[in-house]
Amino acid sequence: MRIRKKYLFYLLGILSSLTGAIVTTIDAYISSIVITDPWALCVVIFLAGIVITFILCLILSLPFKQKSLGARIDPSFKRLRLLKKEEIPYHLMAGIGNAVATIAYFLIISTYKDPSATLAFFQIVILYLLFIESIVEKNAPTMAEIESSMIVTFGALLASFSLKGEINTYGLMIVFLLLNPAWVVFSIYQRKLKIMRINDSYNDSINIRFWNLVFTTLFTIVLVYFIKRDAIYLAIESLKYWKYFFLSMGITFFSYVLYIRALGLGKASVTQAVKSFTIIFSIPFSLALSKFTHITLFESPTHAVIKLIGIILVVMGVISFALTEVRAYIFIKAKTGYSMKELLDTIWKIRGIISVAAVAGKYDIIAKARMRTLGKGYERIIRALEKVKGIERFEWHSILKEWEEV
Amino acid sequence: MIKAYILILTYVGNLKAVLEEMRKLENIESIAVVAGDYDIIVKAKVNSLEELMELTDKIHAIKGVKRTNTQVIEKEIET
Repeated sequence: MRIRKKYLFYLLGILSSLTGAIVTTIDAYISSIVITDPWALCVVIFLAGIVITFILCLILSLPFKQKSLGARIDPSFKRLRLLKKEEIPYHLMAGIGNAVATIAYFLIISTYKDPSATLAFFQIVILYLLFIESIVEKNAPTMAEIESSMIVTFGALLASFSLKGEINTYGLMIVFLLLNPAWVVFSIYQRKLKIMRINDSYNDSINIRFWNLVFTTLFTIVLVYFIKRDAIYLAIESLKYWKYFFLSMGITFFSYVLYIRALGLGKASVTQAVKSFTIIFSIPFSLALSKFTHITLFESPTHAVIKLIGIILVVMGVISFALTEVRAYIFIKAKTGYSMKELLDTIWKIRGIISVAAVAGKYDIIAKARMRTLGKGYERIIRALEKVKGIERFEWHSILKEWEEV
Repeated sequence: MIKAYILILTYVGNLKAVLEEMRKLENIESIAVVAGDYDIIVKAKVNSLEELMELTDKIHAIKGVKRTNTQVIEKEIET
């Protein structure tokens, strides 16, 4: 299927949010009715998660019309495979990130009666990602990205606030110093894994999810063992409720696979912003859940208005992200006497260049650029290209519309 | 695996029809409508040069295509 890449990215992000909202609702039900100890829940859900994820991966490895079933979800997926040596360091980092984020999440849940006001600050993770990307990625954020991120972040913060919960310094420290940084590590390394080349094609999100779960479970068990050892035994006893955990982790699998695929298409901060749609999707599910449990959605009319304002901000921020992106092809003719390899590397280092190819034909190099505005294209790319000595001339072709194989 | 950019120029008024036909073709990674000396830039992914020739033949056969310029990729760096 060939669709516009931009649409695919937002579709994946929104579908991931929808499945994420379903999982959150199921988890809320499990933690209030089935197993109330958050530490044990944390361990048992990961243990059951490995089993159901393994089964799902085996099913998705089955051949169907010359491809695997899983290729329908991620075209790069062929079958469940062993890890490549070069993937292991990234999986270790993503696994630690996910385990610490999960532990931090349950630490807050287990410490406070109503952590809803403190946990809302988890939404600020988008700003962390923007900051980290501006340091480590060659594609630094533009003013438009910072503006949109702020709108989404504060919108998500407002929409997830609870008026009943208290804002506690210790809880905030866990969110700001443990939960958010750990999630940033998780997202950044998942993205690195997704854009990694394995056997001459892109890494697939299904194998990434499975192996991340293996490492996360391992780290979680180790961490819980040192923090609250009894929870491990309780977790093993709770395995009898496997049906609930299979349901939750089965849906989580699809939520993460879609999220990882989206991470391969866009920056981690923008993907996270799109994922803020979870807050919107969680409303109908929470309403349904409130029929069966004590959980209430709107505490007062004021709370409903605050939530509504937050939701509007999230939607506006994501739309503004989607509308402010410009791409272009640049055809370059090189001067003779300059090393093509060095020229490729020099062009590749220019901020905003997303691909560069040495070609045989009328031109010598074809580069592709991505920026938020055409003005940025001039400031960052054209001015930088004019300084490159090995370039004789170049032609700029702005992309008006684009379809990509998905 | 061979990759190539195929730069396409169309006759005025035929762009939409050419795009519709182009989207039906196989071995194409991306199609971009651009503003500049060319109208469409196609990124192709084929197994051999013969397959690339077959693909360019198919593009030439689309009504409305004026000229093509194929640039075979020798080395590529991408995110």
